[in-house]
Amino acid sequence: MNRRGKGLLNDLDQEIREHIELATEENIDRGMAPEEARCAAMRKFGNVTRVKEDAREVWSSLWAEQFGQDIRFALRQLRKSPVFTIVAIFTLALGIGVTTAIFSVVYGVLLRPLPYSDPGRIMAVFEVNSHGGWSRLADPNFDDFHDQNRSFQAIAKYSANFSSVSGASQPTRVTVASVSADFFKVFRIRPIVGREFGSADARKGAAPVALASYGYWKQHLGSSPDLSQANLKLENAVFSVIGVLPDGFQFPQDADLWIPADRDGENPSRTSHNYDAVGRLRERVPVERANADISSIARRIHSTSSEQGDYLLKDGIVIPLRDSLTGKARPALLILLGAVGFLLLVACANVANLLLAQASVRERELAIRSALGAARRRLIRQFLTEAFLLSLVGGGLGVLGAFWGVAGLVALAPGNLPRLDSVSISAPVLVFALLLSSAVAAGLGVFTAVRSTSGDPREALGEGGRGQAGSQSGQRTGRVIVAAQIAITLVLVVGAGLLGRSLIKVLQVDPGFRVDHTGQIVTMEVSRPCVEVPRAKAAQRIFFANLIDRLRQIPGVRGVGATSGLPLVGGGLPDGMFLMLSQNELPKTPDGLAPLLQQKERIGIADFGVVTGEYFKILGIPTIRGRIFDDHDSPSGPHVAVISQSLARERWPKQDPIGRTIEFGNMDGDLRLLTIIGIVGDVRQYGLDLPPRPTVYVNLFQRPRSAITIAMLSDAGTQLVASAARGILADLNPEIPAKFQTFSQIYSASLGSRRFNVILIGFFGITALLLAIAGVFGVMAYSVTRRTREIGVRVALGASSGDVLRMIVNQGLRIILAGVAAGIAGSLVLTRTVESLLFGVTASDPLTFAVVILLLVAAALLACYIPARRATRVDPISTLRYE
Amino acid sequence: MSTREEKERVDLLQGTLDLLILRTLLWGPTHGHAIANAIENRSDEVLQVEQGSLYPALHRLIKRGWISVEEGTSENNRRAKFYRLTAKGRKQLAVETNKWEKLAGAIAQILRPRAKRK
Repeated sequence: MNRRGKGLLNDLDQEIREHIELATEENIDRGMAPEEARCAAMRKFGNVTRVKEDAREVWSSLWAEQFGQDIRFALRQLRKSPVFTIVAIFTLALGIGVTTAIFSVVYGVLLRPLPYSDPGRIMAVFEVNSHGGWSRLADPNFDDFHDQNRSFQAIAKYSANFSSVSGASQPTRVTVASVSADFFKVFRIRPIVGREFGSADARKGAAPVALASYGYWKQHLGSSPDLSQANLKLENAVFSVIGVLPDGFQFPQDADLWIPADRDGENPSRTSHNYDAVGRLRERVPVERANADISSIARRIHSTSSEQGDYLLKDGIVIPLRDSLTGKARPALLILLGAVGFLLLVACANVANLLLAQASVRERELAIRSALGAARRRLIRQFLTEAFLLSLVGGGLGVLGAFWGVAGLVALAPGNLPRLDSVSISAPVLVFALLLSSAVAAGLGVFTAVRSTSGDPREALGEGGRGQAGSQSGQRTGRVIVAAQIAITLVLVVGAGLLGRSLIKVLQVDPGFRVDHTGQIVTMEVSRPCVEVPRAKAAQRIFFANLIDRLRQIPGVRGVGATSGLPLVGGGLPDGMFLMLSQNELPKTPDGLAPLLQQKERIGIADFGVVTGEYFKILGIPTIRGRIFDDHDSPSGPHVAVISQSLARERWPKQDPIGRTIEFGNMDGDLRLLTIIGIVGDVRQYGLDLPPRPTVYVNLFQRPRSAITIAMLSDAGTQLVASAARGILADLNPEIPAKFQTFSQIYSASLGSRRFNVILIGFFGITALLLAIAGVFGVMAYSVTRRTREIGVRVALGASSGDVLRMIVNQGLRIILAGVAAGIAGSLVLTRTVESLLFGVTASDPLTFAVVILLLVAAALLACYIPARRATRVDPISTLRYE
Repeated sequence: MSTREEKERVDLLQGTLDLLILRTLLWGPTHGHAIANAIENRSDEVLQVEQGSLYPALHRLIKRGWISVEEGTSENNRRAKFYRLTAKGRKQLAVETNKWEKLAGAIAQILRPRAKRK
């Protein structure tokens, strides 16, 4: 009812009173007595209540009233067959619930806007290298982007590092971001306490200042609004905390402290990629224009720079920050969403079959109603109402289940899935669930309605009374649905199988280190402030040498090694260009290296690892030739290097690299030549499923560094070793925190996303398989029930129970094979989408296909066999007696 | 099939009252009681409408947009609702009048066939 109608109806009482009064007065004027005049007026007016009802009727819509009728009728129908209702609702709840749960992850990770003001305008900027890969920005390149672009209102560079921070309530390892001037302008973030960086703070030699995250301020700075005492020691300097950022702002990820970038001046090289960059687009500048803008600046740099080579940028690219943060997770999540969509289809197919069966039972009822004049439209609406009730109840239950499912998903999700903390059943997810349920309802409702009201009512009525209600076409539809279910299930199970085989293949890969004793390796990350002065570096070497010696004495510890980066952790090792150079070719000054870097035959590219000799033994990395570092390699003696097998093969083919010298000083600032003394096996540093990269290892005791990971091989319990090691470290220097893990935790975490996908798609596949088998069983059982009379006649005419069994199983087999054929075709097309997630198997792996097909056909045949057995027990006498 | 015809008969009766209301309002906006009186008087009291049924009909016409309603003051200075013919209603009146004349003519021919032959 609309507002105009409501207003008129509200005034109607008053209007009627006025009318009667006017009429009464007229009657009095004609000479009636007042009492009589009133009665006559009322008589003439008629029944006031009915007038009001009729007026109300004008405004109330027929539609709403019929809707109520439909709902009541639908509820009655659903109550009448509770088993059907419960099965349908739970099947829908399963489908909608699982889909909603997966969508909540997709939404939280990929779609939810970043929690900053106008987040759609925040972009990430990258250099594009000569191989088409994206990399971080070199300082002069960033400066050119910053000065020359016309697309960004603010653009800033940043880099995040772990640092040991002391001076607050306790020493901690904290993510510290070095950020350039406009960083907070990009995010439109201002401190809630104190002030932001001023231009003076970034100048070389300025007093060191830092901003703290809200969480760090609460936990370590006592939430005090007075920051004058908040001084933190990090990177060998004391930083005064000058401001606190608002709660929830922690960009880059997990950052707790922000300090001005380039406090020691910029790196003048255009090929040292040290910074990420973010920018906020100007109003009305689309991404494409910013992209073209940055790209043209980048190409200009490329064509004019004197530093040519593989590491110089070739182009630049701008993409939304959100996409850059989640880029790697995107394909796997979209595949999961697609897979769960398939599961939902299989579930809906089951419900559609149930509804069809239900509708055919009601065929006579429908026929009678339509014969009595019910419009087809009205009957269709009745079906839609029923489907809506089922779907909404199912969807509601599904969403309840999804709350629980999301908690499970978050717990199961790999740790490297970005933005996992923003995954929850939020309002948009609920809207999605509602839309999904409605779509399911509309699909199911229209489908069953159209299928079951298309027949001629006379046919159904004529057939009636002979116990064989239900049209042939309805049954055919049921079979098509089941075949489709089998096809979709096959695709899902093949997908799960391919991912599962990939996981197995990954586990079978030789990673280059021993995997059988990862549980006995306790790792300990330690970082001291970064130093450049040679004397301070020597102090670092002595500190780590002491620490390692003391750790060796922990009872149960059999060996202690150290490395700049364990395999499977973080982004791997840094890489760079080295020069093959003999001692007499070494230039006197670092500037003399530049022309040598132009000589292609001298250049090699390798990862750079800093390790101790024992590290190789503890991880079980084999020595192929020569020797590894030992006590002879003193800091003052000749500096030595060990190279990986693939580097030896690649750079010194058919030659012996041992005894040759290389210059790799750009990695740690030490220009002394390195003599190659040994070759070790290749290590899959970046992941079990990524190929090993050529690597140069140098000796930690000759080339000390500030941050290392210590690996201890021990027979004692992890906790005991860790606490003993913590005690030793505190004894040496109480201001240095450490982080402990076992290597098996690291190993297992590196498989996290693969395992996540296998578990989920496997779960979808198994659930779809169960649903499809239930579908086959349902359709076959139903068909047997309907053919009881026919079977009775056949048996009476001499068919053996074997004949009957064969007949029914054959009927089922035709459906199954049709489904399998369609499924194989679908799989061959669709498994290509998971190709990027596969390892060691092709998307059309014949073994996976064969096993899955056999499994599916066997299971489906079993589902046919049970109703077929029942058919063989049909007693011809009793069935024919029904006539 | 019978249901269809029944429905049209109902429409016809409703339509008649609607037509009379529209015709009455052609003289200018007025209130409910005056409309009832006008219909009675003009038909020389032949048409005895139950006056209450006027109101649902008025609401129906408003809903269709053929008349509009406004606050006004009646002859004896009381606040009352005044109903006014809209442009759409004026057009509808022409259509309805035409329809009614055709119908009346047809019925008349059936009832007095001789009149036609003349």
